[in-house]
Amino acid sequence: MTRPFEPSFIIEVIPQLLPFLGTTLAIVTGTVLFGSMFGFILARAKIRGRKISKLLADLYTAIIRATPSIVLLFVVFYGLPELLLGTIGINSNGYNKVFFVLIAFSLQFAAVMSEVMRSAYGSVDKGQYEAAVSIGLSERQAFIRIVLPQCIVVALPNFANSLIGLLKEGALAYTIGLTDIMGKGILIIGNNYGAYALETYIALTAIYWGITLLIEKSFHLTENHLSRGNKGISAS
Amino acid sequence: MLELKNVHKSFGRNEVLKGVDISVEKGDVVVILGPSGSGKTTLLRSINFLEKADKGTIVFGDIEAKLENASKHDIRAIRKKSAFVFQNYNLFHNRTALQNVTEGLIVARKVPKAEAVEKARKALDKVGLSDRYDYYPSQLSGGQQQRVGIARAIAVNPDVILFDEPTSALDPELIGEVLNVMKELAKEGTTMIVVTHEMTFAQEVANKVIFMDGGVVVEEGPPGEIFTRPKEERTKQFLRRIINDFDYVI
Amino acid sequence: MTLNTEFMLETFFIALKGIPVTLSLAAISLLLASPAAFFMAIARINRIKGLQKAVTVYVSFVRGTPMILQILVIYSLLPSLLNQLFMNLNLKINVFDVNPILYAYIVFTLNTAAALSEVFRSALQTVSIGQLEAAQSIGLSTYKAYTRIVIPQALVVALPNLGNVTVNLIKGTSLAFMMTVKDITALAKIEASYGYNYIEAYIVIFFIYIILCSGVQLAFRLLEKYLGGYRKPAAG
Repeated sequence: MTRPFEPSFIIEVIPQLLPFLGTTLAIVTGTVLFGSMFGFILARAKIRGRKISKLLADLYTAIIRATPSIVLLFVVFYGLPELLLGTIGINSNGYNKVFFVLIAFSLQFAAVMSEVMRSAYGSVDKGQYEAAVSIGLSERQAFIRIVLPQCIVVALPNFANSLIGLLKEGALAYTIGLTDIMGKGILIIGNNYGAYALETYIALTAIYWGITLLIEKSFHLTENHLSRGNKGISAS
Repeated sequence: MLELKNVHKSFGRNEVLKGVDISVEKGDVVVILGPSGSGKTTLLRSINFLEKADKGTIVFGDIEAKLENASKHDIRAIRKKSAFVFQNYNLFHNRTALQNVTEGLIVARKVPKAEAVEKARKALDKVGLSDRYDYYPSQLSGGQQQRVGIARAIAVNPDVILFDEPTSALDPELIGEVLNVMKELAKEGTTMIVVTHEMTFAQEVANKVIFMDGGVVVEEGPPGEIFTRPKEERTKQFLRRIINDFDYVI
Repeated sequence: MTLNTEFMLETFFIALKGIPVTLSLAAISLLLASPAAFFMAIARINRIKGLQKAVTVYVSFVRGTPMILQILVIYSLLPSLLNQLFMNLNLKINVFDVNPILYAYIVFTLNTAAALSEVFRSALQTVSIGQLEAAQSIGLSTYKAYTRIVIPQALVVALPNLGNVTVNLIKGTSLAFMMTVKDITALAKIEASYGYNYIEAYIVIFFIYIILCSGVQLAFRLLEKYLGGYRKPAAG
């Protein structure tokens, strides 16, 4: 408060932050991968599972949706080592923090993705599947070749939203000591004994905003490209 | 060639089919008539296992299977020997007209791509769409979409084509183009089972008409008989309602 | 794995005392954000020059940056701005005497306004122009047409999304501890730090948030049923 605001520091700090963007993006990528796989299992259970697995999948989703990211992150970070030690005798003390961050956000992303997948599946008319099997495609072929590509087009905007949400929530990983781009920013502020905090935060904000815009733009382009079958003179 | 015996199907407590038997010979054009809710569409869908009947037998060429628990292998074999034309076309939205037709050839029947494209072009030419190969379904009119649907069916060279009210989703002025294609197919000896409300088509093209009501076959016979000398009161009532100036010989 | 159940029970009741803080953060932010969001939505729908662009950028910014950074930026920016203001106005107020919950209200209001404006926009757009025209045709003023015909309908359409925004907001307030506001999370964290009972504390608030958010969701669903009655087709 005694020191004037220095816009030039925002520019100066960005090159120090950017090398850690890799960690942030790696965590996002890993989470998307694991989260989507688990999300697919959940979606499958919701769409065509037995009553009990459907119920469990719905319950899981409801619980995750009611839990703040930071609480989930803390529960996993503090609770999982105890759970691993207590149940299967694994000592996770030396584990990289990335491990816990990946698990926490994958658990969360899976719930989000399961809903994205379910609604996309529900939006594809059953007749598409029927037409495919009626000309001799197997159930699997009908799903993979006809239903799935249409699901993906429908799911794309929601997937982009979820991805952006993940990127933003991922910024919380520094609270358990992970040095991603956010964590690096906090370290820099610490090294400056709290000076230039605002400038550093603004630099980080700009970087996150930039990535989000980039994601939005690229999804927009992909969407336009993929939905070519869905536009035309008499689109219904 | 194709026979269904004692087909039963209920949706919840609503019994839609109550023991239906039909048989179709090679080259037959069978038209199934009946008021809505009579079970004709369900019957047609059961043949292709789009609906799983509760009970019944299907004999299709050399395949004989129970409708309620046919093996996956038999279901696929039957689907490969037949083709289905849907009321609302069900063209694959993510495929062009040509790709809609090649899909079944390349994927289900392992026809080499070049050959499949050749066959698909021929099928599309036949339904009068030689200038629409690369259009997506959303770029086609309803009548054109349904003709692609028919091309998709004939391209796989099935033993029988099942038509489920192929013109009822179409604007009146587009019905003719679809019916003409179907007439052409009938003339060439294609075996067809057609659920429809188009009486003229039934009269002119069918060699066998089946009248269904309340989940059973009420009456069947050549169109000449059904339309001019129906035996059953229910048939008479239905025809009287459908064809205003209907005039049958007593 | 042994959990200190006595501690958990104790923490549960202590953390419960944070519920009023959490709920007041959510309620006041919603209340303050709603009118602003409504005008932002109107500005975008009616393409009001300049304003439309500004709103779009604002929404994009909030949507594109992590909540935690929004908090950190405001929390490091606002006190010095306020201090400046107090000095300029010759007020003898020490900026450190300002209750930090004020900053929290501001952050969450700014954040929620952006989310709400999108909800209002899409809801208003689902009410057909015919409804507005019909209202005007029987002599209602534009203002009356909006308040009596258009907005009530839009509100029903918006309810599910309003529910989502509210739940997200409640989850978001779990970060208020960054501004030293004593909400549910902050109280649990403080309790945990005395004896390093972090697992227990976080499991406790994990459950509190589940109950709280599920309750809010349920309330919105009931409200939807109650208000949406006119949309059900008449029996028979």
